[in-house]
Amino acid sequence: MRRAALLAAAAATYAVAAWMVAPGFYDGFGPPQPYNWTCPPPQAGANLKPSSGHQDIKVLGGVSDANSAFTEDGQVVIGFLPGAFDVTGKTVISVDIVPLPTCPQPAGIRFVTNVYQITANAPLLKPANLVLRYSNLEPDPSDVYFATDPAGSWKSIGRAQTAQPFTVDTSTREFGYFAAGYPSASPPPGAVQIGGGQTLPIVVAILIALVVVAGIPLALRRRRGVSTEDKDGPEDV
Amino acid sequence: MISAFGSVHPARRAVLLGAYVLLVEWSRALIQKEPHMAVAGLVLGGAALVLVAAGWPADRLGLGTSRLGLRILGGLALGAVLLLPAAARSAAVPMLPAGLAVAAVAVSVGEELAFRGALYAALEELGGAPLAIVGTTALWTAAHALSHPPAFLEAVAAAGLLLALWRWACRDLVGPVIGHVIADLSL
Repeated sequence: MRRAALLAAAAATYAVAAWMVAPGFYDGFGPPQPYNWTCPPPQAGANLKPSSGHQDIKVLGGVSDANSAFTEDGQVVIGFLPGAFDVTGKTVISVDIVPLPTCPQPAGIRFVTNVYQITANAPLLKPANLVLRYSNLEPDPSDVYFATDPAGSWKSIGRAQTAQPFTVDTSTREFGYFAAGYPSASPPPGAVQIGGGQTLPIVVAILIALVVVAGIPLALRRRRGVSTEDKDGPEDV
Repeated sequence: MISAFGSVHPARRAVLLGAYVLLVEWSRALIQKEPHMAVAGLVLGGAALVLVAAGWPADRLGLGTSRLGLRILGGLALGAVLLLPAAARSAAVPMLPAGLAVAAVAVSVGEELAFRGALYAALEELGGAPLAIVGTTALWTAAHALSHPPAFLEAVAAAGLLLALWRWACRDLVGPVIGHVIADLSL
């Protein structure tokens, strides 16, 4: 009984500790830090405002330098190759990344990240590499979407092979508004997934049912003395 | 691996095993941060952790086959307990991309064999069950310090304590392996 009580206490302690943090803390699959939401979903818990970012890129010998601009929280990184900008009349290229203070949800698209406005004081000549981090509380996005006006039409600019879990990569030849998401008319991409989403309560319910259904005959067998004692076997708790 | 440590003093063996496991886990966490290395880091880390159990008798690891039905049932129950807080949040659940499933199995089996298997056995031999439970929980928590934000470590420690207590109370590792695999696959 003492062992059973200790196990029950440990299970209760675990439940309390796990309830205090966002789900998904097993073995490093989760993002390195919680996502900072403009409009946090109810389950997000404590939330910090998303950060903005600024970068001044030098123009050397009439060519813009290779550099990256990123938000302070690392949720957006945009990288530029040498000569990525049309530097006519410029000695420094300024790039700004600002999270949109609102959360547009255009028809037919479900965003899973904040919307970010990326601007620069010079147009692009070469594609820039854009990386958006997303939360483990949302489905895997299928695309990065782009708009010149957040209230206007959004178009997919695709996504490249993901470099790391919970990031989505793409490239862009123009600046404007960016967010990651998926077509809301279709199931979330990566829907062939294990666990997560609405399936998790079902998984837990099935586990409990299995334990109960399989446990009853096992308990009855033990009560009838069918089971033989075995020193290395699991003990009753 | 135990054969290599067979003649080593129990304290030295426990320290060596603990250091090796921490080194593997921290290396895995650092490798996973490199682009395209997440899955490789998990699979290689899991394999390196499995090595810790090589040479240990199955019963010392808690891997006996007697009452297998109860052991499996215990694993399902542990999986349910580990997932219950996330499930209770309903839509608040993360999703593991299917491509990471193999890696999830590898690392969860490896961690159980290393922490609640070999390390538990070594510490139990050194200082009894209390040292084994406290020691594996502390090392388990430290092992996740590089891969998890500090805010998550209390929950990680609580999960480690629950699994270690199961290992002690039931003298069983099958349950923790199954529970850990279910939790890793589902979250």
